[in-house]
Amino acid sequence: MQILIRLGKRILAGIVMVLVVATFTFFLVRLMPGNPVAAKYNDLILHGMTPVQAMDQVRVMYGFIPHQPLWQQYLLYINQILHFNLGRSISYDGVPVLHIILAAAPWTIILVLTGLIASFVVGILAGVIAAIKRSSVTGSALSLSGSILHGIPQFVMGLFLAYVFTTLWVILPFGAPYNASLTPGFNWPFLSSLARHAILPVATYALSSYGGWMLTMKSSVITVLGDDFILASEVRGLKTWTQVKYIAHNAILPLFTVLALSIGFMFGGSLFIEDIFDYPGLGNLLLHAISSRDYPLMSGAFLLITVAVIISNIFADFLYSVVDPRIRR
Amino acid sequence: MALEFEARDFHPRGMQIRDLHVIYQTNQGEIPAVNGVSMAIAPGKITGIIGESGSGKSTLAMALMNAVPKPGRIVKGSVVVDGAGDMLTIDKKIRQKVRGRDIGFVFQASQNSLNPLIRVGKQVLDLGRSHNIKDLRALLRRAKELLERMGMDAERILLSYQHELSGGMRQRVGIMLALVLEAQVVILDEPTTALDMISQASVLEIVRQIHQERHLTTILISHDMGVVADLADNVVVMYGGELAEAGSTEEILAHPLHPYTQGLIRAIPRISGPLDQAIALSGSPPDVAALKVPGCLFASRCPKRLPKCENSRPIYEAIGSDRYVACFRGTEHD
Repeated sequence: MQILIRLGKRILAGIVMVLVVATFTFFLVRLMPGNPVAAKYNDLILHGMTPVQAMDQVRVMYGFIPHQPLWQQYLLYINQILHFNLGRSISYDGVPVLHIILAAAPWTIILVLTGLIASFVVGILAGVIAAIKRSSVTGSALSLSGSILHGIPQFVMGLFLAYVFTTLWVILPFGAPYNASLTPGFNWPFLSSLARHAILPVATYALSSYGGWMLTMKSSVITVLGDDFILASEVRGLKTWTQVKYIAHNAILPLFTVLALSIGFMFGGSLFIEDIFDYPGLGNLLLHAISSRDYPLMSGAFLLITVAVIISNIFADFLYSVVDPRIRR
Repeated sequence: MALEFEARDFHPRGMQIRDLHVIYQTNQGEIPAVNGVSMAIAPGKITGIIGESGSGKSTLAMALMNAVPKPGRIVKGSVVVDGAGDMLTIDKKIRQKVRGRDIGFVFQASQNSLNPLIRVGKQVLDLGRSHNIKDLRALLRRAKELLERMGMDAERILLSYQHELSGGMRQRVGIMLALVLEAQVVILDEPTTALDMISQASVLEIVRQIHQERHLTTILISHDMGVVADLADNVVVMYGGELAEAGSTEEILAHPLHPYTQGLIRAIPRISGPLDQAIALSGSPPDVAALKVPGCLFASRCPKRLPKCENSRPIYEAIGSDRYVACFRGTEHD
């Protein structure tokens, strides 16, 4: 019961936060220089239309010219949000924003979630080993691997992997999330093509975030190793495996917050990877929305990130109270 | 209750420590924390090891378990436990068994000796499993018995996390964990430091009772001459990582030979009588530089200093049966 009340409070606070952030993004987006109609208009003129033709064309394309005052647009926007309506896209000619985002999200989730989980698991294990064996060659090698991979920018890593495995040594396909000749659906050829195409982008993501997890876990483990109860468990003759469990359990706690936040930020997409490997995910979508001044799409994408981060934060809080008895009340 | 456990010999076990050297690697070079300590821990007795902060007594305690934390390192010596072997050279697997099962250890920082994320009961079970105890129910029963003897609500304690217990409760849980596997040698490193006088007295009384009942060999490390004098059969005085004096408690209290021991005894405050009867020992323990001088470590603080004390270090030697001292005046009969 107490937990439900706490959860209720958190969700209520979350909703308020979402509205506040929605307000911010609404105004910030509109403070950006340029407007989509003018942008299209200029574009058409550059393509050789006369001003009158261009204006007509723009009216036909968008069906309206935003003449409402900002505050009316804002009220309309908030009202829409409360009804789970994110408005219609400008650049996709009136398609509901929610549809566009929902279509793009799976591609990002496939990439980033897989890469995130892989890098988290491998990074945590490597971090524990690197900390416990920090004075040996194994430990130093692991730490070095973490620092190097952490230092390579994602797009360099992506291009490097693409170059090695699709050009030098052609064993994996390049570009597009699956073989275009296959019918999407729950059939083996499609799924295997999907998996094969995902290997490089997922590996890129995993390799470039592995270093961060590994180094954070390593320093966390080293802190815990200095705790009295670890020495105590050694002197009480606990089995090595039990000692490692004690260490890892205590050391992993601070990383849960980061993990939960990373899952939230996942919805911002992974722009470089999606761009290099041609995935129609949220990162590409956001880039497109910004370059074409598609306000509703931009606000929608930002709102999605906000909601995701807030939800994962609430989730992290509850995860904490499960894994750390000191937080329970 | 012991019948539930595998049959174990109940002959008290002794310990022989020979020429033990422990150093700490620091930026200022190697600091000898324990410098050539040799002693025999009498089986079935309570041996008190006393010294100031920094005298190396806790390091000695960890060295007895071969668990000196870094940057400390045992450089030479031997710690032979009757029936187990030399802690410093035995196989790692056997050492893991000896720790906890044969030698129980109560930590100086016992308040922090529990895993904060799991319940006390689970930690008792982890301890039992690590030592291949088959009857875990019996183990829990014994844990409860011990906790109840120490005046606690055992059911509640076993279901608690560390943060739900007070400092004194944690300390007693630490003592329970050292005794629950029926170890025959128990090392208590400042077991009552975090406790108030009343809990201190009751915890020490329990230690004494259990020591007698189980014919344990107990090593009690303390900076408190009062505690040691009250409990121990034998006393060993440590100063600057070396032994200064050893003997039976009565002998040491009645005829302290080393000026340092004399100072410690004078420094015990009495409950009744004027406070200025307790005379503080002037000066401070030797620092890194002082440890390397050729003379007696205590010379700079010693009221009975002789000229030769500055130049040569007195040898720690036997001057009677089980009576040792490291002082040029100790061997003179004055």
